[in-house]
Amino acid sequence: MTYDVYMHFPVIAIMTLFVGAFCVTLAGKREKLRNVIACISVLVPLTLLSLLIKPVMMDGQIIVYWMGNWEPVEGYAIGIAIEVDPLSLFFGLLVAIAVTASCIYSFQYIKQDDARGSYFTLYLMLSGGVMGIVLSGDLFNIYVMLEVMTFAAVGLTAFRTWNPNAREAAFKYLVVGSVGSTCSLLGTALVYAQCHTLNLAQISAILPGNLNPTMVLAFALLFTGFGCKSFMFPFHPIAADAHGAAPSSVSVLISGVFTKTGVYGIIRVCYFLFRSMGMTSVQTMLVFIGCISMFVCVTMALNQHDFKRLLAFHSISQIGYILTSLGLCTALGVAGGLYHAINHTLFKGLLFLTAGSVLYATGTTYLENLGGLARKMPKTTILFLIGAFSISGIPPFNGFYSKWLIYQATYEKAAETGNIAFALVTVICVVTSVLTLASFIKVGHSVFFGQLAPGCEKAKDPPAGMQLGMGILAALCVFTGLFPNVMMKYIITPAVNVVYNTSLYIDSAMGQGYAAEHLGDAVMPLMNGQLPLIGSWSPISWLVLFVVVLAAVFLVSLTGRGNRVTTCEPDSKHAVFFGGEAAEYSHISGGDLFWGFKHTMRRYLGFMSRVHTGVTNDYVLWAVTATAVILTYCFVFML
Amino acid sequence: MMLANYIGAVALVVIGFYAMIAKHDIIKIVIGMGLTDYGLNLMIVSIGFNEGGTAPIYTFGELVSGMYFVDPVPQALTLTSIVIGACVTAMALALCVRIYKEYGTLDAREIRRLHG
Repeated sequence: MTYDVYMHFPVIAIMTLFVGAFCVTLAGKREKLRNVIACISVLVPLTLLSLLIKPVMMDGQIIVYWMGNWEPVEGYAIGIAIEVDPLSLFFGLLVAIAVTASCIYSFQYIKQDDARGSYFTLYLMLSGGVMGIVLSGDLFNIYVMLEVMTFAAVGLTAFRTWNPNAREAAFKYLVVGSVGSTCSLLGTALVYAQCHTLNLAQISAILPGNLNPTMVLAFALLFTGFGCKSFMFPFHPIAADAHGAAPSSVSVLISGVFTKTGVYGIIRVCYFLFRSMGMTSVQTMLVFIGCISMFVCVTMALNQHDFKRLLAFHSISQIGYILTSLGLCTALGVAGGLYHAINHTLFKGLLFLTAGSVLYATGTTYLENLGGLARKMPKTTILFLIGAFSISGIPPFNGFYSKWLIYQATYEKAAETGNIAFALVTVICVVTSVLTLASFIKVGHSVFFGQLAPGCEKAKDPPAGMQLGMGILAALCVFTGLFPNVMMKYIITPAVNVVYNTSLYIDSAMGQGYAAEHLGDAVMPLMNGQLPLIGSWSPISWLVLFVVVLAAVFLVSLTGRGNRVTTCEPDSKHAVFFGGEAAEYSHISGGDLFWGFKHTMRRYLGFMSRVHTGVTNDYVLWAVTATAVILTYCFVFML
Repeated sequence: MMLANYIGAVALVVIGFYAMIAKHDIIKIVIGMGLTDYGLNLMIVSIGFNEGGTAPIYTFGELVSGMYFVDPVPQALTLTSIVIGACVTAMALALCVRIYKEYGTLDAREIRRLHG
């Protein structure tokens, strides 16, 4: 196929989702037809974007599509462009995968709900909005898509009529989200006032190097706006509320996809539009915000008693990793951040879907009411364990590799700059990872292991459709963990490359030589395709070792089988203690597991729990304060 | 002349934020969101204004160099932004109605089942 054919793929990918959203409504109550339409509308973008891997990722083509064929006139972009470079395609693929897996899952999952017709309309609108953001090359278009996406997400959060908290969560989400939207729109307007264009490529050529107070204001506002969409530190409570209330299949989108648009926006703003990432002040800001998000949210997660709310806090904690890594402004850091972004979408999606399966089977996600589900839901348990191991960074699953990259990147940055604070960042990353593992042990223990909780007797594995949705994500988790070299070579490195060579992006949209003309000496040097890795990690050899050890354990256990003596009757061991009575149900809940740790930390945890008041005004206050602090910081340190 | 517009725009945004932070009635919070939007719209449309410019309505033939008109792009942006703002308000009010039915109150301090 020639370049001309590929050119139309991105716009078709976006349009299919939006057209699908309308067609789903037309299907009305015909459930089969509706599912088929929804399925087609998510599979088409996935196929088209997969086809783009070859030309964009491998051959380095950057696809530029001018809507209505309004090409730039005399060096001014007057039309709306869709620009797909490896970075956009990276995020586009991530979106397409998560949306497909979640869509397959939700066919069965939402059978319990009323208003099923509007579910898929909103679902496809949300997907289309996200896809529009990551593929668009126009700043205002990104804002409009951001709003489309936010509306759809709010609608889906409030969607469950039987969930009493859904409307409250949606309202908070809408109000605090509107602070972020206000910031990004104001930033967009200020950028337009300065550059007289909204095209990303042209702005990236004109803007860097001309930092006046207006532009610093615009930078701070755009940064806050996208930061709000990624739910970074002071914006995190709304995410936790929304995840708890939304159906699990939507939580996958909000956590895996919605937040990625914020991350994508921050990359575009910091690395492309303003090229401000070279400044130590911006790096410090991003790393600081990342570290706080990751630590605060992981400790909040330890305190939670609801499965999905706990997962929501972990989700933001992982976003903290991504932001920290991107804030380092080294090739390794960007690679680590992007790798963690794709891993986060996969394992977080998987975990939310398993939480959804538990809800589907038992009707509750409250940790204290669950227990011993491993016997009733073995497949879900295995899928949960894959997700939990991945998020905690246990080799050979995918979380390990990206966290490994992030540790390396932060440590190398410390060595490079001689700034001891970056080594401290590495320590925070490791500690957060340990706390993540701790809280997943708690979840695993109180939901899947231990004694079967009363009321869970009838629980069973979810239907095949839901298992397929989870299976896709689990398989990808294992794949990205086992073959990181393939991922690095074909997906991550091209994306990192384009981040460091913005002139490629500018030239392909605005014509050859445009970047050199405007940026002059500011053009960054080409980075060679190799990433400087200090340590090597071979998951295959680890896996071989694992299999060998497993076989050895199995053999040892076989030798003892013949000698086993079973004289006790079942249940008779309890009889000694209960005087012949049947054993009572005694559940070791998640709260008991780390009581010592929680008792030591009670002041801090109690304080954190108290400040998350749940009052909308307080959260708006946090958001506005954060905006003010970021504005002040930028004015003091960037001018 | 434009300075007054900018000051007015910023004042509206600040009043909007104040309402969202300090007013506990959720309807007033929605009004605050609306005020922020209006401030923003005023800001954007002021950015595109040129003193003494005409309306930007021309066809290709009429357009010659040296013509002086206001920038049409911010006006298009403002229109979009107004539509989005109206939708936000409508959606937020719809949620308020549902919240009132379920919680029996419009006080944000009592609408906090999700906390901690």
